[in-house]
Amino acid sequence: MLGNYLIGLREGLEAALVVSILLAYLVRTGRQSHVRFVWTGVGLAVALSVAVGALLEFTSANLSFEAQERFGGIMSIIAVVFVTWMIFWMKSASRSIAKELQGKLDQAVAIGGTAVVVLAFIAVAREGLETSVFFWTAAKATESTWTPVIGFALGLGTAIALGVALYKSAVKLNLAVFFKWTGFLLIFVAAGVLSYGVHDLQEAGDLPGLNNLLFDVSATIPPSSWYGTVLKGIFNFSPRTTVLEAAVWVAYVVPCLYFYLRPARSAKPAPKATVAA
Amino acid sequence: MHRILLVPALALTAVALAACGSSAGSEGTSAGGAITVSSTADACTLSATSVGAGSTTFAVTNNGSEATEFYLYAEDGQQIIGEVEDIGPALTRELTVDLAAGTYQTACKPGQVGEGIRAPFTVVAS
Repeated sequence: MLGNYLIGLREGLEAALVVSILLAYLVRTGRQSHVRFVWTGVGLAVALSVAVGALLEFTSANLSFEAQERFGGIMSIIAVVFVTWMIFWMKSASRSIAKELQGKLDQAVAIGGTAVVVLAFIAVAREGLETSVFFWTAAKATESTWTPVIGFALGLGTAIALGVALYKSAVKLNLAVFFKWTGFLLIFVAAGVLSYGVHDLQEAGDLPGLNNLLFDVSATIPPSSWYGTVLKGIFNFSPRTTVLEAAVWVAYVVPCLYFYLRPARSAKPAPKATVAA
Repeated sequence: MHRILLVPALALTAVALAACGSSAGSEGTSAGGAITVSSTADACTLSATSVGAGSTTFAVTNNGSEATEFYLYAEDGQQIIGEVEDIGPALTRELTVDLAAGTYQTACKPGQVGEGIRAPFTVVAS
């Protein structure tokens, strides 16, 4: 029960987190009308994952191991691009919110419905296929036992409940605080997704260095523990991290944090040549 | 209007990938012909440790209490030929790989940690 519960929790955490931040953002900036685009993206991703998962599970079609890893790796990298864009789009919006009155807000936070659909779709679809294949495996086992499918559903349910709780507290936070912390959090989420993608490509043999580990803390942070699950689910923390994964993680986090934390200097149109002190 | 294009594009990609996988040859291996693997906390038991070259399916059942993984490595024990992760307790997941004659290593990783419980696996020319 617990093993399947933890897998469900881990698979659902990251998507729940990104989707609830996106929803909170839209509601906080008076874009309630866009909320339906979030659900469109989530719905499409779930439907597609469930369908393709069933195809893989119930027909002779199967993804080769390399194709599976490559698919995971590429989806992860696409997800990083979109989440990074979300982070900096929220940052520019927060800057205008700090400076302008409500009237100008609309323009600053303008985001197309398409962009919202795509963002929500990617957030869910990234792990969606894996989750769906797992779900069908557990569903098949119901001939002999219901425990795995129930455990898995409870795990996913917990992830969704945590997403709802995050949303509820995020909509109550002071706007400046909301933007600062969600962006900060998302940088580490995206960095984890990126190194996870790199790991997938290493497993597929597309990138070298799979066995070149920087550290192995799986004895202290076992993946089967609840804290290992939460760290993996939110930050994609791998207790066995390769040198390449770590390098890519640092190469992403450092510049992102730099640009994210750099004070905004857009009060007046500054001359282009000025360099931040 | 990009979203109208993107979703079917992703769907097609996934289906195309799936199609590639199946054409790579799962023919000849019926579910009944699968090698069964039982993974527990301290054992990794295969129904056969030698098989003819070609497409082979491993049906890995987790009889332990923590999630497990099954790997098939090349002879060096480093390069992954195939793997199936996240096999929850009481579940069975399949790994289908196309194998050339040679020596391989199998590994179960109960708790999804460490080097796993390893054993040699032989594929003979058929």
